[in-house]
Amino acid sequence: MLVLSVIGEGLIQAGKLLITGDPEMLEITWRTLQVSGTATLISVILGVPLGVVLALRKFIGRWLLISIINFGMGLPPVVVGLVTWIFLTRYGPLGSLGLLYTPTAMIIAQVIIAFPIVAGFTVAAIQAINPKMYFQILALGANRWQLLWLMLREARLGLLAAVIAGFGGVISEVGASIMVGGNIKGLTRVLTTAISLDVSKGEFELATALSVILLLLTFVITAVLTGYQQHRRQPQ
Amino acid sequence: MIDQNGITGQVLLEARDLLLVLEKREIFNIAQFTLNAGEVVALVGPNGAGKTSLLLTLALLQHPTGGSIYFNGTCSTRENILELRRRMAVVFQEPLLMDTTVLNNVLIGLRIRGVPAPVARKRAEEWLERLGIAHLKGRSALRLSGGEAQRVNLARAFVLNPHLLFLDEPFSALDYPTRRSLLVEISNILRDTRITTLFVTHDYPEIPFLADTVRVMLAGRIIKSGSVAAVLGEDAAVPRQIPAPWNSASS
Amino acid sequence: MKTKKFWVIGLILVFLLLLAGCAKQPAAPQQQAPPTPKNPDLILSSTTSTRDTGLLDVLIPQFEAKTGYKVKPIYNGSGAAIALGEKGEADVLLTHAPSSEKPDVDNGNFINYQLVMHNDFIIVGPPDDPAQIKGIKTDTDAFKKIAAAKSVFISRGDKSGTNTKELAIWKKAGITPKGSWYQESGTGMGQTLQVALEKKGYTLTDRGTFLAQQKNIQLAILMEGDKDLLNIYHVEQVNPQKFSKVNADGAKAFVDFMVNPDTQKFIADFGKDKYGQPLFYADAGKSVDQIGK
Repeated sequence: MLVLSVIGEGLIQAGKLLITGDPEMLEITWRTLQVSGTATLISVILGVPLGVVLALRKFIGRWLLISIINFGMGLPPVVVGLVTWIFLTRYGPLGSLGLLYTPTAMIIAQVIIAFPIVAGFTVAAIQAINPKMYFQILALGANRWQLLWLMLREARLGLLAAVIAGFGGVISEVGASIMVGGNIKGLTRVLTTAISLDVSKGEFELATALSVILLLLTFVITAVLTGYQQHRRQPQ
Repeated sequence: MIDQNGITGQVLLEARDLLLVLEKREIFNIAQFTLNAGEVVALVGPNGAGKTSLLLTLALLQHPTGGSIYFNGTCSTRENILELRRRMAVVFQEPLLMDTTVLNNVLIGLRIRGVPAPVARKRAEEWLERLGIAHLKGRSALRLSGGEAQRVNLARAFVLNPHLLFLDEPFSALDYPTRRSLLVEISNILRDTRITTLFVTHDYPEIPFLADTVRVMLAGRIIKSGSVAAVLGEDAAVPRQIPAPWNSASS
Repeated sequence: MKTKKFWVIGLILVFLLLLAGCAKQPAAPQQQAPPTPKNPDLILSSTTSTRDTGLLDVLIPQFEAKTGYKVKPIYNGSGAAIALGEKGEADVLLTHAPSSEKPDVDNGNFINYQLVMHNDFIIVGPPDDPAQIKGIKTDTDAFKKIAAAKSVFISRGDKSGTNTKELAIWKKAGITPKGSWYQESGTGMGQTLQVALEKKGYTLTDRGTFLAQQKNIQLAILMEGDKDLLNIYHVEQVNPQKFSKVNADGAKAFVDFMVNPDTQKFIADFGKDKYGQPLFYADAGKSVDQIGK
């Protein structure tokens, strides 16, 4: 097996799949976007406010909570998958919800993975703002919401990094998705789990083709986000 | 004295029994501190005397451990603190500009107060003009020299037409020529607008340019208070234009 | 501010996209008038090697069309496939490790234990056959020769049916395989074959997976035909008396489907057109001793 021939074959196959609009590939790609996109969105809605509170407010146990978040940034996805699976199995604590082997279960696992990443980056982004800026904004007469909005706007570079990191973390993971989703064709199969399946079957060209598509997808999305982040911004 | 808001000879800000204790250390303990309408008070003292903490507390940005502050006779409470803050403006030593254009920075305070956009824009542009930085209005605020940035900071404060202005060593981070020219400009502005001002500094030659009265703070207490001449001596009360060694006429 | 509009429009677009996705569910093709059972969700636990033959990809849609059940097939190694059943997390199982299945049949975890089909295991290896096992009649002898020659042997090492079989052969041969020549891949059969190809080594594989992969895997069949190498598939229900959440009706329907004559004929023909020989031999109704005769 020549490495170059696999990659070459893979690229050709990727082209074919894209040009013909292969329905199975489209379905898997759409589901990948849906699952990871929803998970990222939920993680941002939960993670950014938490990150802001952790960065700005003093309270007992703050250090501990930030440590847990930072620890959570490095959680192995496969471990998250296993624990989520245990909770969602029929006889597990949340078994009555019947969520195992559904896209919802995958979203849940991916939120657990992405949320600490988003929160952790947000804490760092807010803390990177000059602490005196907080007083300056207050001095300008901002109420609580205006203060929050202005701080978030000041931290937008770091916040976008948070979103990109969170999204990147979940669109690329396979361990949790396979375990709680089951990689079921037509129901819970996404690009990463499909690639993993093809590899285990020895179908390396198809795996490469899907990898190319996944990389393209990820690149397009992160390029758009980077566009926002770097808008009109040049190094001096 | 009549200040810009037509308030005559009145006590604008009064603080009573102001005490601040942080981490078991007493930062300041002041029985009474008053600012009369239209006056410019310089607050001097060595580093660590508690000047900035006092300024932050009087500007209602930091809660004192004890005591009360009255603005125009109204005691500041949790309910009205925002409204009272919006009648003040603070200029810190660092420009603390936000990551956006110069014009937007100057507009921030007006936007916060809900001033309609066209009115706000006009006022902002007037003040940019007045401080000589109208040509910078579209530039990113992060790409300014120290002097330019501080001018934006000042414009951002003046544009609000504050009843009370706090200046916390606004010139100390600037180089000498910038400091000189700004001093003269601000001195003119304060004279024209008659804004009640508290001006913290440890650079004595600056004082006669701006202030009528001086208060000396040491270890958290006000130990002396009076006119510039009375507190610092007749010599110190004369605004002295020291010529630049490199012979630049003005900047 | 232009940037602001940019942001807002972008976010709205993203939102709409996601919402649109929620509305568009994966289209489940509805046949003419399938019966809709009370509980249509059925979890089938089976093995990766079964999956890799492609048989279930064809059989499951047939079953779904016929009965209206929606099957969720979960594939693992045999160890995990059976374990899922033991915990009541699956409704019906299709497995091929009878020695591992027996304890659960005996203690009542599994009921309706039916023979479905068999294929066989073969030993494949590099065409030049360094350990000289071609022509050997018994699997234990072949393994002995490989061990003696210290030829590279790739084990799946994952408690799968294939792995269990392989370990049983070593045991019967009286050898504990150890050393740099014996490597455990810890992965599925398809990938293990890839590894064997790369390392020019021997491995034990089921014929079905090997045939399906043959175009990519240039290994040769070097030992086959020993009765001991039969790979026997059973279908079984998880006992609803022991596990109340099991979909007993669905499971029974699946078992019935797998042993009924039409399906059995399909199984017997499966793969003939593609590989020139069938991947499986249909055995429903026979007893285990009758297989291969």
